[in-house]
Amino acid sequence: MDFDFTAGERAFAEEVRGFLRANPPETFAIDGMDAGYGSGANSRAFLRALGAQGWLTMCWPKAHGGREAPMFMKLVLMEELALAGAPFGPLAGVWQTADAIIEYGTSRLRREVLPAIARGDATFWQGYSEPDAGSDLLALKTEARRDGEYYVIRGHKIWSSHAGIATHGLVFARTSREARRSRGFSMFVVANGTPGMDIRPIRSLTGEVYHHEVFLDDVRVSAELMLGPEGDGFQALLNGLDADRFWGRFYKAPALERVLRQLVSYANTTQVRGVPLARDPGVRRRLAAIAAEIAALRLVFYRTGCLIRDSAPLSYETAMAKVYADETGQKLARLGMDLLGVWGPLREGSRWAKLGGQISHLYLTTLGHTIAGGTAEILRSSVAVRGLGLPAEPKVVVEAKR
Amino acid sequence: MEFRPAPAQQILISTARAFLREHCPPELAQRLALDAHGFDETLWRRMAELGWPGLLIPLEVGGSGGSLLDVILLTEEMGRTALPGPFVPSAVVATSLVLAAGSPAQQKRLLPALAAGERVATLALVEESGSGELDDIGLACAVPGRFSGRKLFVRDAHVVNDLIVAVRVGGGLSLVLLPVDRPGITRLPLETISGEKVFEVIFDSVEVRHDDCLGRLGGAAEVLAPALQAGALARTAEMVGGAQRVLELAVEHAKTRVQGGRPIGGYQAIQHACADLVRDVDASRALLHSAAWRMSEGRPAEADVAMAKAYASEACLAVARRGHQIFGAISYCEEHPLHLIHKRIQAATLEFGDSAHHLETVARTIGLAGA
Repeated sequence: MDFDFTAGERAFAEEVRGFLRANPPETFAIDGMDAGYGSGANSRAFLRALGAQGWLTMCWPKAHGGREAPMFMKLVLMEELALAGAPFGPLAGVWQTADAIIEYGTSRLRREVLPAIARGDATFWQGYSEPDAGSDLLALKTEARRDGEYYVIRGHKIWSSHAGIATHGLVFARTSREARRSRGFSMFVVANGTPGMDIRPIRSLTGEVYHHEVFLDDVRVSAELMLGPEGDGFQALLNGLDADRFWGRFYKAPALERVLRQLVSYANTTQVRGVPLARDPGVRRRLAAIAAEIAALRLVFYRTGCLIRDSAPLSYETAMAKVYADETGQKLARLGMDLLGVWGPLREGSRWAKLGGQISHLYLTTLGHTIAGGTAEILRSSVAVRGLGLPAEPKVVVEAKR
Repeated sequence: MEFRPAPAQQILISTARAFLREHCPPELAQRLALDAHGFDETLWRRMAELGWPGLLIPLEVGGSGGSLLDVILLTEEMGRTALPGPFVPSAVVATSLVLAAGSPAQQKRLLPALAAGERVATLALVEESGSGELDDIGLACAVPGRFSGRKLFVRDAHVVNDLIVAVRVGGGLSLVLLPVDRPGITRLPLETISGEKVFEVIFDSVEVRHDDCLGRLGGAAEVLAPALQAGALARTAEMVGGAQRVLELAVEHAKTRVQGGRPIGGYQAIQHACADLVRDVDASRALLHSAAWRMSEGRPAEADVAMAKAYASEACLAVARRGHQIFGAISYCEEHPLHLIHKRIQAATLEFGDSAHHLETVARTIGLAGA
């Protein structure tokens, strides 16, 4: 066993910290809301700065302009960025899309999209969910009809994060009717602005826009923009979601660690009836308990990271880790609101807001985390069925009332 | 980073699992828990033949030359089977104290015998206050001289040869190592729900000589701290091993118990409970291994040990309690293996620092200003 970083990983972490000192995260222009996952706000300027460092492509094959750095370097980078509260919002999604294009993208996708990703110019929204296809993704109705060298996509996607400020959508659609329900789906990389695509913002309960719904009205895309094998997209999607649970939550532990440090500092400097909040035994125990939980969460993700690094088989790990991350985040947000008391609900920018009003933001955004990317219920069932080998619940089909 | 045990550690784990499956089946653990003496000398001798009591002790003095991490991995296996006996008090805590504080003569006399399992020792720390905090230890003793008083919750005092007693000598916390047959020592059993053997030890004008001192007079705190950390980790390992076993038993039950026409594991209510057990066990084990690795590497591990014990106490006890709910009525029976593991986990949460103690350590190390 070894719970430390290698010398190379430590040196890279130091390099990232040096970069952040020279380029303070708060100096980058923000384009989109911080959804509280830990990757901060969307900032194209920051993504471009990461691109200029060569960090977006560092793990790519040399043939595609990378330098084949070990996968753990990505973990080191994300941990340092999250600890610093940097706005690296779309980074995990960008990496995953690049990996998919490198693995099974067409030469056109490799030629057109990879360089844009490398520069930090390209970001992606996920066109998976639909109004009647949430936890049951296979119920989706969006169709892509073949027309010569093109596909014509028609459907309605929803809950697509940052679709309004991204450059491309990853649109999941049915390309054929097959006997098996899970077959006949394909993925397309569709540039924003393609005729027939209408992206509309959904204002969230935080008051800001994070999600969008996307209407696809006979959107014509070249067959060369299909990502992965035709008709076999569901397995690719599942693999992608598995990775998404890991990469989209890996940075949560360091991000929560950062919030915890702020709460500790708040407790040390805030007097309640003349006594520092930090001396309250209940406050001490709750903060200590969540500190241990965050430490455990971090290790659970690193353990999963080691399995991915070693190409070891995964069954329950990413599903379990995602639920754990999201529920720990909710606990910390609740604890933060409790500590802040009457100041808790004040928004960022409000007079008298404490800790920049970010705890109320965290409190609201974390509510969605156990829903997005697979609900806690779906994922617990996945842990039980895929991980522990318990029998799946029998499916009872009821037609949705329209 | 590497979370997998090294090849030699994997052999240690698989050997221990096979050995304990054969020699410590649930019926034996239960019988020993109910028996007042509750010590299986044959089992202890066999463990000694495998070199387990000497795992922490260097090869040169008759031990097996393992690391604390090795000991923790082994103790996890013991937790799986609710193995009774003095392994943790003697082979982990008392041995750590003799290694850290024993004079060359004491080490020469004790370590080979401890390693061979021929001697067994235990620490007498807690007093009538029930507190394990070192500041609360008050038993006064003059060296040379005689002392009277009592210690509580002394593990396995009925089978030990030596007691390591924490005392105050002129106000300074000190350790004395006394043969258990020294005149004036009486051992009275406390009756526990877990079947672990713990005792009240009464000292009635017991003589203490200079060469009974273990370590420097007034210097006990610095040797006790790492020994108690090792004890806390060993108890955590028992909890993690026990919780892992509960998880396996519960999943097996959920697959085979049929109600309403399907295995109960086919219902989401049970599936989600099982998923939570996996999280609790995995997270506890990750903290345990990380803390044990840090201690074995000689790195500062105070916060890591405290986090591991505090977290696992909550999580593993939750596993045991949820396990009962998954099993339903059958786990309420004495002959069912779950309750003994549950009781052991509950006992382990308290020894070598309860959650309040360890959370306070964490509170301090994350920078909360003094309580």
